Amino acid sequence: MEKKPAAVVEREARVETRDVVEMLRAPAAAPLVPLPLEVLVPEARQQTPAVRQRATRPDCRLHGLGQTKYIDDMYLPGMLYAKIKRAGIASARILSVDTKEAEAMPGVVAVITGRDVPVNSFGPSLKDQPVLADERVFHAGDGVAAVAAVTEQIAAEAIEKIKVEYEPIRPVLDPFESLKLETPGLHAPNPNIYGHKVIKKGDVAKGFAESYRIFEGSYRTQMVEHVPLEPHASIATWDPNGRLTIYSTLGRITLGRADISRTLGVPMSRIRIIATIVGGNFGGKNEITTEPVVALLAKKSGRPVKCTFTRPEEFASSTTRHPLVMDYKTGVSREGRILARQIRLVLDGGAYCSWSETTLGKACILSAGPYQIDNLYAEAFVVYTNKTMTGAMRGFGAPQVCFAYESQMDDIATALNIDPLEIRMLNALKEGSLSPTSQKLHSVVVRETLLQAAQRFGWNGNGARS
Amino acid sequence: MTKVTLNVNGETRTASVPPEMTLLRLLREEFGLTGAKLGCDVGDCGACTVIVDGKTVNSCLMLAPQADGRDVLTVEGLATMERLHPIQKAFEEKGSLQCGFCGPGVIMSAKALLDENPDPSVLEIRDALAGNLCRCTGYSKMIEAIQDVARGDNRQPVGESA
Ligand code: FES
Ligand code: FES
Repeated sequence: MEKKPAAVVEREARVETRDVVEMLRAPAAAPLVPLPLEVLVPEARQQTPAVRQRATRPDCRLHGLGQTKYIDDMYLPGMLYAKIKRAGIASARILSVDTKEAEAMPGVVAVITGRDVPVNSFGPSLKDQPVLADERVFHAGDGVAAVAAVTEQIAAEAIEKIKVEYEPIRPVLDPFESLKLETPGLHAPNPNIYGHKVIKKGDVAKGFAESYRIFEGSYRTQMVEHVPLEPHASIATWDPNGRLTIYSTLGRITLGRADISRTLGVPMSRIRIIATIVGGNFGGKNEITTEPVVALLAKKSGRPVKCTFTRPEEFASSTTRHPLVMDYKTGVSREGRILARQIRLVLDGGAYCSWSETTLGKACILSAGPYQIDNLYAEAFVVYTNKTMTGAMRGFGAPQVCFAYESQMDDIATALNIDPLEIRMLNALKEGSLSPTSQKLHSVVVRETLLQAAQRFGWNGNGARS
Repeated sequence: MTKVTLNVNGETRTASVPPEMTLLRLLREEFGLTGAKLGCDVGDCGACTVIVDGKTVNSCLMLAPQADGRDVLTVEGLATMERLHPIQKAFEEKGSLQCGFCGPGVIMSAKALLDENPDPSVLEIRDALAGNLCRCTGYSKMIEAIQDVARGDNRQPVGESA
């Protein structure tokens, strides 16, 4: 057997001390074995020996046994099931919500609408998102009312019985329409452009004047949903002293707790959030969704309440990846060196801000690519539209701009008849290069990585493989 | 209410359920077997895969009364007190699961495959997992683990291995 680094051996050994085989006695029940008192704490600044190691997870045995308890696998005594009624219309004013028929259904215990939410707005930066829409619907996935019933089936039937009267408002679906000054503000008085960033370095006009050729291209990416295999879910339960416990799939519980506290008007000290094992997040579970809804329903009914998103809700009512329209103008020398680059990014933010500001910033900073560019002008806008809101998703805008700058790099290489690898080697950042925001970069190994990769997969120049 | 009697993981179980209840909900809500997961409820994701009379089934698409009188095997029925099932062991060793939500379904699909075809090619493994979506792993370590089991690298019970 090959010798493993001490830390790995130790980690494996610790896992074994759990003696998990014993728990198989009652497969559907909680483990009946003591859990280790000592836990493995990674030492700060120590490189984990991960490369070339088989990475296993301490919890993967329970995953394979079907013993891991995700939210939907939990049940609290007396628990009710909640369903949220979705607007199904992209933009409208809510004239009335009639819940009488739903409330009268046998098995329905509590019904709430947007008007029952103490502070009906939240968000990680701009507080522009309602828990349940009350006056205005901003996108089709907005919730307008919620029901708690003794079974999920009854709750699903009850939301069908809720009647909402809308006055439709023409939706704005194109980010470029939203950009126009004459377009009425979706979240008036706030402007439709709710985030803007500019990065300037050197003198682009001078760079373009000195260029041998100038390339222009426009690149677009689409909206992407995270599709975690486990849908968003939460369970809320109040104790008689007015303390709230929420079991949730939230990935950022401290932030979520602040939002829950704000929306419910309950001090944070009275809210406990239990983060369970999450069945896939990818950035999509960074914000509260069902949590305030189940909390209010639980309060109204006096019983624990669970809500699990359906798969359609997962697509329509949780955040997605920002679609970007990216205009690139790049001036190069005869040899293919980038002399100047001008970039305009338009992010379609959808109905609410969510993590748009982070995405905007990161997309803008990374939009130049891993290349040494002395003359740079990058500008980014994020605008509201009446579509599913966008938010955090792996990379916060980095994959979108990568698609644009690498696509253009290939266009330039083809036009100048330079090998695509060579043009990247020529322009790549070096040790000590300055980033677009003039940060001095260390441990830069772009070239080494490119060369190794090219060698590994047999890159033979000009698109051919050896 | 309809009365259903079926064999679950070797035990005869009976429940009285509404006729529209799915097999998945019967297993999860009536029998407390939460291994099979609800990922989509429409037959797309495979998180609810169980084996009925030797064949994999999306239990979200089968009504509980349709399972009446049949043999149902869920992920909870694979391991015994003494040992993990070789597929579970291989999945653990290869790090084949990350968030794990797809795991029980994938393992049941793998089990049905290996029962029918003890020496599948990579293509056959891919084909058997085609109905199981995983958003975390990229599948390659699952495929490696299933190959390991087929090759017999993992036939040893976990309790007895060195
Ligand atoms: S829950 Fe059955 S296939 Fe997705
Ligand atoms: S391990 Fe997360 S979905 Fe497969």
